Amino acid sequence: MSTITDGAIMAALGRQLTKAVAQQAVAAGNLANIDTPGYRAREASFGDVLDGEIGKLALTTTSSNQIASPLPGVSGGTKEVDGLQSRRDGNNVELDRELLTMNKASSDFAAAGAALAAKFRLIRFAINEGR
Amino acid sequence: MSTLNAALNASASALNAERTRIEVAVSNLANAESTRGADGKPYRRRDVVLAADHSFEKALGEAGAIGVKVAAIVEDNEPFQRRHDPSHPDADAEGFVAMPNVNTPEEMVNMLSASRAYQANLTAIGLIRELVQKALELGK
Repeated sequence: MSTITDGAIMAALGRQLTKAVAQQAVAAGNLANIDTPGYRAREASFGDVLDGEIGKLALTTTSSNQIASPLPGVSGGTKEVDGLQSRRDGNNVELDRELLTMNKASSDFAAAGAALAAKFRLIRFAINEGR
Repeated sequence: MSTLNAALNASASALNAERTRIEVAVSNLANAESTRGADGKPYRRRDVVLAADHSFEKALGEAGAIGVKVAAIVEDNEPFQRRHDPSHPDADAEGFVAMPNVNTPEEMVNMLSASRAYQANLTAIGLIRELVQKALELGK
């Protein structure tokens, strides 16, 4: 029987938290350099990492007693954002875009956090034998 | 958590840099009529040069925040404005006074842009704090 274990789901939610934090940090860096001449806006990039991980998504176990190992953690770099208009000083940071990124990351974080809290509640329910 | 700390530090470095820009703009405005500086010449307007500071990033690997630092405060080499005012103590033989090369509208624009950037970074700090707050509520 192959089921997605609690551990795998919680690891995935944890990675979503990490991703939101990375996006937040990169957007904060962009905002900090909004007046730095020649600075190019960057974004956290997970696409290449995701492509690599999708192949590993099918968890293989040789026995039904084995617990599937959680996926490796999110690791990703940053890359320059394409298609932004540069100002005359060579800087292409857009204030609204960065604030949007930060707000989105914040709500992603809240969503994953809520799901994680629900999982924790279930586990506590099980530990307390349904009380 | 360390990444969020780095993000906070980056935003704080931006607050510092923008505050420096405001300070320099204010001192330019304050000295718009100063015809005698320490070297006996009129005041030269100063400008802040900002540079990206990658020292925050190195501490935490690839996906980190990049801070900003004040690389230099440079003097503007534009020529002084000449104003005809024979009664001024610093007037030359022809009655002209060399006034500082400060352009008031330019300073106002600089100050406004610095203050907007300051606000933006304060907002960013608020969002990061929100994230930390939510992380603390995970166990509830």
